[in-house]
Amino acid sequence: MLSFIFNEAMRDLRRAGRVGVSAILLIALSLTALGGFWLLSLNLGRAIDQWGDRVRVIVYLKEEPPAAKLEEVMQRIETVGGIQRLRYVSKAEALRALKRSLGSQADVADQLPRNPLPASVEVTPDAAIATPEGTRALVARLVALNEVEEVQGGSQWVEGLEQFRRLFQGVGLVVGAVLAVAAILTVTTATTLVLHLRRDEMEIMRLVGATENVIRWPRLLQGMAQGLVAAIVALATLEIAYALAVPRLEPLLPVTIGLERVLFLSPLQALALIGAGAMLGAVGGLLARGRVPA
Amino acid sequence: MIRLQHVSKVFGAGPSRVAALNSVSFSIAKGEFVVLSGASGAGKTTLLRLLYGAEPPSEGDIEVAGFDVTELRRSEIPRLRRSIGIVFQDSKLLAGRTVFENVAFVLRVLGTPRRDITPKAFAALKAVGLSARAQAYPNQLSQGEAQRASLARAIVKSPGLLLADEPTGNLDEEMAAEILGLVKDIWSRGTTVLFATHQARLVPQLKRRTLRLEGGRLVKDEG
Repeated sequence: MLSFIFNEAMRDLRRAGRVGVSAILLIALSLTALGGFWLLSLNLGRAIDQWGDRVRVIVYLKEEPPAAKLEEVMQRIETVGGIQRLRYVSKAEALRALKRSLGSQADVADQLPRNPLPASVEVTPDAAIATPEGTRALVARLVALNEVEEVQGGSQWVEGLEQFRRLFQGVGLVVGAVLAVAAILTVTTATTLVLHLRRDEMEIMRLVGATENVIRWPRLLQGMAQGLVAAIVALATLEIAYALAVPRLEPLLPVTIGLERVLFLSPLQALALIGAGAMLGAVGGLLARGRVPA
Repeated sequence: MIRLQHVSKVFGAGPSRVAALNSVSFSIAKGEFVVLSGASGAGKTTLLRLLYGAEPPSEGDIEVAGFDVTELRRSEIPRLRRSIGIVFQDSKLLAGRTVFENVAFVLRVLGTPRRDITPKAFAALKAVGLSARAQAYPNQLSQGEAQRASLARAIVKSPGLLLADEPTGNLDEEMAAEILGLVKDIWSRGTTVLFATHQARLVPQLKRRTLRLEGGRLVKDEG
């Protein structure tokens, strides 16, 4: 029975001809778009995670604490919670850092009547709260401390990148969904045409007592086979585009979004894409309707 | 094998309402050969369609091969049809398949084990004298041969009941006699036969119990 259903499905696929090929191309197009957006979003996500790890908050103090009170101030800051590491930067250390950054112009700093730089504490948030929301909350808690003049830093630009990724994912989903609907409709049309060609066969099948499953399964398999072929085409297209683009993109990445490498979809993600193709095809096949006598 | 009680079938409603069958009742015992006669439009085909579950009756009760057809759910119709062989006026052979493939198609659809398909299909073709034409395509057959292939397809699953809807309607006298002979052979091997025909000259030749339909009513049951 299984071989009968499989053979009938393959026979139908051959009969679908050009419409069948169009359906495969449309599914491939929609999966390539979905896969492309997925790939980019995946790598953007990695960049965001990586930058999240590097988030620092600088807490400027109103006054430089005397050595005896420094421990107490540091403890008060730590008690706000969500902090992984603290590093105290004294006024003198801040000035030294300024001079280092000025290089050959360092003597400009020597002209200053007094050290204008405030003492500060460099705060590294816990990995768990190194998100835009978590960092915002931490900043709010730090600002509320009496010893604190101002708090700078955080994750504004990481937040921007995250918003861009969300927008990107949304656009990808919308484009993918529109193409997926078009693909389903094309598979439905292809299968309906085949059903029309198979009208006599289906009439005989019903008359001799074939169950609805035996009549429907070849339809479903036909659509699924189209979806599978399309998913393989889409993956191959993505792989080729990846191979062509990566050598040109990778030198720019460390200086732009800070990534060393662009990753391709994992085997599991590739399988998910193939599964999506098979599902799109199967839905198209099942939606097909043929006018067959009872 | 078949029992109808006050069966009516109405198509359409209002001014386009057509009563195809009107309170038809009869029974056919297992192993009987019964002729269903009547002019075109008398309701023969509608009656046969009710018997194999292609249409529900508007009124009345139908029992076929132990199935209460009136109460049968859609999903149960295939089980009923597996116990019935059906032949039509046109052979309904599948054009892209050989005679053998047409007959074997039924067995494949019904999930017959692969090893049994060839012997069973050839046995059915032998029963209708068409073994030598097994590899021919429908367009290479005469009308009589096509109808014999159609008969082979109807009996290949060894049904207990054969419904023949004007199988000789398109044939000349010689070919019609040939088909009639084959149907009688099938009946003589124990299959119940309901043979519908509008050809009045065939009825006396058959010398069997005859049900006559006129305008959807059963007007005669004799023989």
